[in-house]
Amino acid sequence: MRSMAERQAFPLTPWTAALIAMLIMLAVLFLTPTVGVLLSSIKTTRAIALGDLWSIPGELFLGNYAEVLSNPAVHRYFVNTVIVTVPATAASTALGVLAGYVFAKLPFRGASILFLAIVAGMFFPPQVILVPLFRLFNGVGLIDTLWPIFLVHTALGIPICTLLMRNFFATVPNALREAAILEGASEWQVLTRVAIPLALPALAVLATLQFTWIWNDFLWPLIFTQSDEKRTIMIGIVNLKGQYTVAWGVQGALSLIASLPTLVIFLFFQRYFIKGMTMGAVKG
Amino acid sequence: MTCFNRRALIGCVAGTVLAATGLSVSAQDNEITITHYFTGELGLKALNEQIARFEEASGYVMRNSPVGHEDFKTDILVRASGNSLPDVFSYWAGARVQFVVDSGSLAPIDDMWDREGLDDVVAKSIADSATLYDGTRYLVPFNYHYAGMFYNTQVFADAGITNLPSTWDEFLEVAETLKNAGVAPIALGSKNRWPAQFWFDYLLLGTAGPDYRAALMNGTASYDDDEVARAMAMWKDLVDRGYFAPNANADTWTDASDKVHRGDAAMTLMGTWITGYWNDIGSVPGDDYAFFPFPVIDDSVPISVVGPVDGFVVSAHGNNPEGGKAFLAFMMSDTDVQLAWTNAVGAVSANVNVDPANYNDVTQSVIATIGASDNFAFNYDLATPPPVAEVGLSMFAEFMDDPSRVDAILDQAAADAASAFTQ
Amino acid sequence: MERENRFWRVVLLFLPLSVFAVFVVWPLFSSFWYSFTDWNGFNPDYAFVGLDNYARIWTDRLFYGAIINTAMWMVAAIVLPTLLGLALALLLDRQIRGARIFKTIFYLPICLSAIVVGQIWTWIYQPDWGLLNAIISFVAGEPFTHAWLARPGSALWSVIVAWSWQQTGLSMVIYLAGLTAIPSDLLEVCDIEGATPWQRIRRVVVPLLIPSTIVVIALSVINSLKGFDILYIMTGGGPFHSSDTLAMHMYNESFKKYLMGYGSAISVVLFLIALVIIGFYFRQLKRIDEIYG
Repeated sequence: MRSMAERQAFPLTPWTAALIAMLIMLAVLFLTPTVGVLLSSIKTTRAIALGDLWSIPGELFLGNYAEVLSNPAVHRYFVNTVIVTVPATAASTALGVLAGYVFAKLPFRGASILFLAIVAGMFFPPQVILVPLFRLFNGVGLIDTLWPIFLVHTALGIPICTLLMRNFFATVPNALREAAILEGASEWQVLTRVAIPLALPALAVLATLQFTWIWNDFLWPLIFTQSDEKRTIMIGIVNLKGQYTVAWGVQGALSLIASLPTLVIFLFFQRYFIKGMTMGAVKG
Repeated sequence: MTCFNRRALIGCVAGTVLAATGLSVSAQDNEITITHYFTGELGLKALNEQIARFEEASGYVMRNSPVGHEDFKTDILVRASGNSLPDVFSYWAGARVQFVVDSGSLAPIDDMWDREGLDDVVAKSIADSATLYDGTRYLVPFNYHYAGMFYNTQVFADAGITNLPSTWDEFLEVAETLKNAGVAPIALGSKNRWPAQFWFDYLLLGTAGPDYRAALMNGTASYDDDEVARAMAMWKDLVDRGYFAPNANADTWTDASDKVHRGDAAMTLMGTWITGYWNDIGSVPGDDYAFFPFPVIDDSVPISVVGPVDGFVVSAHGNNPEGGKAFLAFMMSDTDVQLAWTNAVGAVSANVNVDPANYNDVTQSVIATIGASDNFAFNYDLATPPPVAEVGLSMFAEFMDDPSRVDAILDQAAADAASAFTQ
Repeated sequence: MERENRFWRVVLLFLPLSVFAVFVVWPLFSSFWYSFTDWNGFNPDYAFVGLDNYARIWTDRLFYGAIINTAMWMVAAIVLPTLLGLALALLLDRQIRGARIFKTIFYLPICLSAIVVGQIWTWIYQPDWGLLNAIISFVAGEPFTHAWLARPGSALWSVIVAWSWQQTGLSMVIYLAGLTAIPSDLLEVCDIEGATPWQRIRRVVVPLLIPSTIVVIALSVINSLKGFDILYIMTGGGPFHSSDTLAMHMYNESFKKYLMGYGSAISVVLFLIALVIIGFYFRQLKRIDEIYG
């Protein structure tokens, strides 16, 4: 998007060299903790207990990875996490599209109050609704299934999805919608044929955010599932530790493996992401 | 473009269908649900083995739900609030079980206790303190731990210590020797607060005795009493002399154990689970580490030992209380089960029929120490009601941060504890 | 036409609103109900105690500490990742070789779970062999080392640093998006007019990024409330409650002291505070809507 002149002017000046040096320094700083996780994952608990975490090991110890990857429970945790995360991401984004579209294109009396009420739903710690939700799902017999996790993440995603989608749809010119309606399209057709195709970048943004948050959550799976067959990967990481035992190495290994899907999602959606934020946020 | 949409849609539908298969919750008659905090490799594996044996022997089917120790507290409370406690769950004997008993959530197990003749199986001191609540039995103590002074034998030998201290003066002498040898005598990891409680417990029990301590724990005595001040002053004296390794609040109990293991510190006051941890990272009991009981401070005061008792309890409103009791009986009476379990987690069995010869040297001398004591007391956070325990545990951490403020800290604790007792 | 619009409003809003009402609004209000009771969580019987729990808040010294910490946490959690993310975005908004790799490196922490982030930062702050003290004693000498998470003065800030590290990538990505939307002819005008790079950033780029900032701040606030996990793992509100936030305090009272009623009262207060913040946020949003319409 930038002019060619700017691109060429850059690689030569000392200012650029300083800039790159600075970026490299920052990158090293930012990478350090992640490298620490990597180091912990290739060391034994004994080595870490001896205070030997922050050194580069002489030889590669992959026992932790072997232990984690060969554990059938871990495979099940992964499957469960996917089963919850993918539909909950899709559902919360879809509901956000519906609500955001109405608030942007079909305003009505009291709409801004309702919008405010929904957005207010982002601003409380989830522990507040723990007990009532447990009682609700227990009452309908859904405890120890993956349903409550899916439903709660869908519901809790509505505020942020509505907010972003409203801002995005506001940038879609009204003229587009009116023209389509004059041609005999229904509101639903305007939404699905005109607005959503334009909103694809914003959807990619939401998908990435929601996926990452839901994937990494461990409060709801903890409360709503009970048997090992229904646990998700984050519970799996926590439960590697016992009341009086530690499992740093395997925890580090599993954590790194567990973060791969969110990284892949980010890399995959990255191009959309940039464009999405541009259109949604800037003209909101 | 449409590809993304379609894929998301398919993912959504597929996920929903898959999730739906998890919907079939079957509650069979012979099914027992159990929740416990024995996660981690050793504990979970050992328990799963025992559960499998129980299923084979009894025909019951166990639905097992392990929850990490810290999260267990949240989980069990949320489930209780939803009237959906599992048939059997692990819990810490003492004030915490009392709390659940008071809420009417536990089923009495006297009938099973008598039927199985557990009076002859469970060590009497444990049975009296851990299983009886208001005269009714609610819990089987399937293992217990004891807090003692665990030390690095090499460090002691290097400092020229040949006789283990048994009195307070000898203890001070040993600490001074170690300090002069350039080692931190005592490691304490009070980041998560609870490891500090053993110091308070032993100092108070050793000076004021079990009766006063019981009064403090149930709210009839106060934290601004002279008895408490005296115990805290002794603790402060140890810190002032530089016997504690610095930054206790930065370390967890494993960090402190590591310090002793590495030889940066000489000893730590910790529960027997430390043996499980040390064995796991390659220490050899007897050769690399050993233990001695907390020194006697006052001859005229009965000798107390301190520790937690892990128990299983049966929910009052569960689907299968009889099955739950059968599982409890199995876990308690079978000596093979007891031995396999306690060895795996570094604990001691409360079953008197377990032959001590099967334990390692350190655990054997632990058992001898407990046998020679006059009184088994729960550690602080299991001896006093949970809201008060929160007050005290924070007080210990605050004290370790700045012992010179001990008077102000005790005044504050007295006020906070008094108000916590009324809640 | 208006009839049709009304029909579609109802149809389109029905599902989102009902899901939101059942799984968020209703539990929220039912949790508020407990704040008028002495429920302990275990006991099915509880008594209605009116405003007692709210009266207790005024005498709870831990509550005041938690309020101050929450304010510090919120402000720092908004300011630090936002400024850092903006700086990184400005640095990376060039056609530099490897920009994509840098972006990925800065984004990477978000992918990690709170459990492992909390553990690794605990090891960075570990006083004896932790990385931070090792560097400090190498650069400045042993006397400058510090038990970061163990002292009441530094515990909260140490967690905030870890938190900012994790969240910066998110604001960076959003700002990068905002930057690509600034028309390049506008920047060329700056160059022609002879503006210094600083003037260009200060007078042109930053004002044009205000809409992105709105999004960044919204996400920061939401995430800072989710930040409970990392605080819970790194300090648990300690040492001796010095890093308690309101969410942590509510958790302690509800789940460690079994005071569900009182814990609910704290969450009601927390929610009221949040409402004030949202009100403020919306006023700003409106103002900006008017400017950029």
